[in-house]
Amino acid sequence: MPIVTPRFVDQAWRRGCDFVTLDLEDSVPQNRKDHARTLVKESIPKITRAGTYAFVRINHELMQADTEAAVWPGLSRIKYPKTETADEVRALDAVITRMEKARGIPAGTVEIDCGIETALGVTNVYDIASASPRIKEFGATNGGYDMSRDLGVEMFVPYDQFVYLRGESELAARALGLGVRASPFVANTSGSVSDGNRALRQAEAARACGFRVGGGGLNPAVVESHNVGYTPSEADVRDAHWVLEQYERLAASGEPWMEVERRVIDRYEAQRARGTLAWAELCAERNREKTEAVARVQAQMAAQQ
Amino acid sequence: MDVKTQRSWLVVPMSKPDAVAQAAKSAADVIVLDLVEFVRDEQKLVARESIRAAISVASAGGAQVFAQIDPQNPEADLRACVWPGLSGVVVSRAESAAQIEAIDKNLLLLEKERNLPANSMGMVLALETARGNQDAYAIATASTRVRGLTLGRADLVMDLRPEPSGEIHLMPYLMERLVILARTIGVTPLGAWWRAPDRGLLATAENTLQAAQRGRAVGFKGALCLRAEQIAPLNKIYA
Repeated sequence: MPIVTPRFVDQAWRRGCDFVTLDLEDSVPQNRKDHARTLVKESIPKITRAGTYAFVRINHELMQADTEAAVWPGLSRIKYPKTETADEVRALDAVITRMEKARGIPAGTVEIDCGIETALGVTNVYDIASASPRIKEFGATNGGYDMSRDLGVEMFVPYDQFVYLRGESELAARALGLGVRASPFVANTSGSVSDGNRALRQAEAARACGFRVGGGGLNPAVVESHNVGYTPSEADVRDAHWVLEQYERLAASGEPWMEVERRVIDRYEAQRARGTLAWAELCAERNREKTEAVARVQAQMAAQQ
Repeated sequence: MDVKTQRSWLVVPMSKPDAVAQAAKSAADVIVLDLVEFVRDEQKLVARESIRAAISVASAGGAQVFAQIDPQNPEADLRACVWPGLSGVVVSRAESAAQIEAIDKNLLLLEKERNLPANSMGMVLALETARGNQDAYAIATASTRVRGLTLGRADLVMDLRPEPSGEIHLMPYLMERLVILARTIGVTPLGAWWRAPDRGLLATAENTLQAAQRGRAVGFKGALCLRAEQIAPLNKIYA
């Protein structure tokens, strides 16, 4: 969200988001960049008061000034758009390290999230992903506006126009053992950023492919879609229990695989099922954590009135 | 090795001795005797002890015979399988050039020890992990024995699942990357363009036919499979 719009920032804690990105980049006009920087310190506690993580997206060409303004206690992550080389990442890492020290933040707290949005970034993607231990998640969710502009490709088409560049990003993330951010192709020909139904389909497709990390959205209307779409459904959980029951039978038989109701049961299916159950637990825990935090803040506000 | 007659590669678990005799009667061009993927730890010793005889049984029907070995600890697998009648090894989950160099050296020693022509054993590398695919070029050029590359069961090993389009996530990218790489270094790309609901080389005959058609169209020259009924469609399409 644009950090220069106070009503967005003030209300953000109520939205049920896992994270909020305070934007210094594309949603802030050039003549307000200096002002925007002064708002980060006071905005972070507003975001995090009820369990939401605070990220800041900096401007690529204003990396140093933006990062110095952004690294405050409570910040989880710097989003670095249009990353193109490993050297840039190392330079950002150095600024963060310096600011963490200056502001009494434990070293290594602030993560780096690189946006790959240009052809050069794709070419250097493995070096970029391995340039800093602060990079914990990596990958490509969608091509994005900037990538489309850089490559001159159309954005809203009914087929996957970014197979190669998304593959490059994702393979690098997987090879380095990072959290993989990816989104399976779901046609988006409208370009709407507030279409909750489309966001839900996209998140569900990602969940079905085993992904757990969303790329975020641009409108509060999609938050619930993301939260629901990335959470295993009751049917998923039932199915996982069924797979594990079948797998116990398989293990007793000594066969490498078997077919039950036209489905293959083997150790890979069992592993997926265990993963689904563990993820369902984590989602439930996170929901509890956020609900409790919101209730706590509301109680505090009521007490103050 | 003649690439043209290696259309179908039937993987047979060494944990199932009966399956080897069955495979020998099939029309598979290559039989891969598996010591890794389908053999549990407690079955390993028996599997290794029985593979020499299995090579004779498998080749009796005219198929070439490969053994699928574990690169984590290759010595025992290689010592068990490098015998007359074996054409080479499929390296499961190949991940580093050092592994391939070690296997190459080991093969040379065994060839010498067992009076086999030097460098007669070939290698096919199964790039089934992210690291293996990321470093594919270095891995695939680590030995002159490498004849072929395949993604093996990457969909399962890397946990790649079907997208709404039916494509298996990341596989279109990995397949095209593998084909380019294989042709760059002059080895044979092996695989088929599987789609949902196919998984891990298990598919119906009809789906195998379609996967082979798509696979041939992007440059694959033959494919691995796990079921006898998949052989005919592979032989037909990769002819």
